[in-house]
Amino acid sequence: MNISDYRGVMVFAEQRRGSVQKIAYELLGVGRRIADTLQEPLVALLIGSKLPDSAAKELIAQGADKVIVVDDPALDVYMTEPYAKAMTKAIDTYKPGIVFTGATTIGRDLAPRVSARVKTGLTADCTGLEIEDGTRNLLMTRPAFGGNIMATIVCPEHRPQMSTVRAGVMRKLERDETRKGTVERLDVKIEAKDKNVEILEVVVEKATKKNIEDANVLISGGRGMGNLDNYNRLQGIADELGGLVSASRAVVDAGWVGQDKQVGQTGKTVRPDVYFACGISGMIQHIAGMEDSEFIVAINKNASAPIFEYADIGIVADINKVVPALVEELKAAKAAS
Amino acid sequence: MDFQTDKEHSLLMSMYASFAEEEVKPLAKEVDEEERFPVETVEKMARYGMLGIPIPKEFGGAGGDNLGYVMAVEAMSKVCGTTGVILSAHTSLCAAPIYEFGTPEQKQKYLPALAKGEKLGAFGLTEPNAGTDAAGQQTTAELKGDHYVLNGSKLFITNAGYADVYVIFAMTDKSKGTRGISAFIVEKEMPGFSIGKKEEKMGIRGSATCELIFENVKVPAANLLGAEGKGFGIAMKTLDGGRIGIAAQALGLAQGAIDETVAYVKERKQFGKSLAQFQNTQFQLADMQAKTDAARLLVYKAACCKDAKLPYSVEAATAKLFASETAMEVTTKAVQLHGGYGYTREYPVERMMRDAKITEIYEGTSEVQRMVISANMLK
Ligand SMILES: Cc1cc2nc3c(=O)[nH]c(=O)nc-3n(C[C@H](O)[C@H](O)[C@H](O)COP(=O)(O)OP(=O)(O)OC[C@H]3O[C@@H](n4cnc5c(N)ncnc54)[C@H](O)[C@@H]3O)c2cc1C
Ligand SMILES: Cc1cc2nc3c(=O)[nH]c(=O)nc-3n(C[C@H](O)[C@H](O)[C@H](O)COP(=O)(O)OP(=O)(O)OC[C@H]3O[C@@H](n4cnc5c(N)ncnc54)[C@H](O)[C@@H]3O)c2cc1C
Repeated sequence: MNISDYRGVMVFAEQRRGSVQKIAYELLGVGRRIADTLQEPLVALLIGSKLPDSAAKELIAQGADKVIVVDDPALDVYMTEPYAKAMTKAIDTYKPGIVFTGATTIGRDLAPRVSARVKTGLTADCTGLEIEDGTRNLLMTRPAFGGNIMATIVCPEHRPQMSTVRAGVMRKLERDETRKGTVERLDVKIEAKDKNVEILEVVVEKATKKNIEDANVLISGGRGMGNLDNYNRLQGIADELGGLVSASRAVVDAGWVGQDKQVGQTGKTVRPDVYFACGISGMIQHIAGMEDSEFIVAINKNASAPIFEYADIGIVADINKVVPALVEELKAAKAAS
Repeated sequence: MDFQTDKEHSLLMSMYASFAEEEVKPLAKEVDEEERFPVETVEKMARYGMLGIPIPKEFGGAGGDNLGYVMAVEAMSKVCGTTGVILSAHTSLCAAPIYEFGTPEQKQKYLPALAKGEKLGAFGLTEPNAGTDAAGQQTTAELKGDHYVLNGSKLFITNAGYADVYVIFAMTDKSKGTRGISAFIVEKEMPGFSIGKKEEKMGIRGSATCELIFENVKVPAANLLGAEGKGFGIAMKTLDGGRIGIAAQALGLAQGAIDETVAYVKERKQFGKSLAQFQNTQFQLADMQAKTDAARLLVYKAACCKDAKLPYSVEAATAKLFASETAMEVTTKAVQLHGGYGYTREYPVERMMRDAKITEIYEGTSEVQRMVISANMLK
């Protein structure tokens, strides 16, 4: 393998039922920065069936210099084998130095197949991507061991350098309709034997009940909420922030919510981006379930409540006065933006 | 030195034993399985004057001594670990500190009802963040005119909900650390005082163990027990006494398990012989009894030291450590000697084994007892 034959950054533009997913634009955001650092082109790889022209145009507006379209009826619904074949061919044809795939269910399925076929390294679920000065190698950083350590991984002797990238970590660019780019079609022959799986049905299920472990924002109420009506008002904050409401054991014991909402040692361990502790004293059994949250906001009327030792922002106030005010502010902020 | 039980204590022992046999034992299984607080037993203990054994007659007690009291705890625990701890927490952890540290007015007000068993007592020291490190109290008490305002919570409180009178510890001055802790007598009816969740436990399942919640509870300044800032010392001295009670509970559990096992191995036959005829059975029983007898001497000695007004904190720690670890070992062996039957709830030994474990944990873990004993050795 001659490493210098490989140039450019390729981004897998995941689409579902013809519509390009947000992750593709996030990948273009980080891809643009890396491509500019290397002074190499950024290409988007769009695979599917009967893809609208607007999709490729949008990828250019969002940062791609070139869009490679593989359009074939056999690529209608995602299937490992045909997609892997298409992507492998694109890599063999265009020889990118770097390939990014979103760490989505599809991306996590696809990327390892492809990396094994092209015999290169793959780092999963990256949260940081940089070019190393001097070597021009890609430094791929990802949390390991449940997030307790950050590992930075390089792939110095094989190309392309592949990584799946965690959704929501990278920023997309400002879209720019004046941006210029080219669109190229790539033909990939998908044979009957490539379709080794038969998809019977695609069920789009509306997420009805979300688990508090999966929420990015949690509004947690404790005994300090006073009563069920007050506690239920936390939903207002959750609605504004797209989060879920959770609870301390005291609230579960009081019967205001089910045990599936309990955060703590004998409840769930959560790790949202933002955790609101409302009227929660911060006993160690509760802390054990939420201390790894990225950002903790505590509202408690008692300034010496232990929760403040863990909070990034602490508000000493009556929670029942803070809740309506906060909901108002969030509404106003949303209207203004 | 005299290791003979005197006539008075012999009489007490046989009275406690028949009470345990007739009133407590028949309920033990049901109380455990239904996790039911045995209210009727508590009423009967009150009638027999068993809820104020070491409290002087002038305060409504039986005017007995600590030795008599631990014998009662031992006798109840032989047949029902739950009843043993209800009695012990009430007497050692609530009535005793009021008797020892209370003002004449407080004693007049609270002791007679407690000692006569018209009211039940409890002790609230442990908090979610303050277990072994009891000094880490977060419950606060603020003096406002003629009363204190209590805020915070307590965890794992024995007799919670059924008790009427609670000895509660709270910080009156955070800046002073352990010297900022004070003790209070709190009544069940005081507004803002509520009982939280009942814990679901491995053993002593009939005993109520709950959280206590204080939300702006107004406690009259007259209910401050001892002086402000003296709470930690009161808690520690109270626990010294309480540990003799728990040691007696452990002792009872061990002896109860032995008694069950002796009866069982005589009846059960394998290989054409009763289990009692196998040498392993005999030797196991001998070990079990020897340890239990050693524990008994330690427990009685600690009680006698307290009665004689000698220092007893190391004696209490030693008794609790040894008796509780003996209870754990003996009850485990008792289950083994019962074979598969011992593992079923048809026989009481599995309950005794479950009950025994807590004696190594509450009123100071075994590790704490080792700290007390070794600190005294190395001072
Ligand atoms: C076996 C066991 C397991 C446990 N597991 C868990 C667990 O998994 N999760 C858990 O959470 N707990 C658990 N606990 C319980 C834990 O010890 C605490 O009791 C519990 O976390 C306290 O809940 P809280 O903070 O809501 O209530 P509290 O400790 O009572 O705190 C209420 C807080 O609200 C404040 N407040 C009151 N009114 C207002 C107001 N108007 N405005 C603002 N603030 C106000 C008060 O100052 C106080 O700090 C467990 C306990 C046991 C025994
Ligand atoms: C059924 C039940 C009834 C109870 N009743 C009452 C009651 O009526 N009133 C009341 O106030 N409390 C009561 N308690 C509380 C009980 O006294 C505490 O649970 C006990 O003191 C241990 O504290 P912890 O549970 O916080 O354990 P922790 O303090 O968290 O200890 C956990 C372990 O660490 C060990 N450890 C801690 N510190 C050290 C150290 N420095 N060195 C070595 N080892 C250490 C302990 O020995 C233990 O093995 C009760 C508990 C139970 C379960």
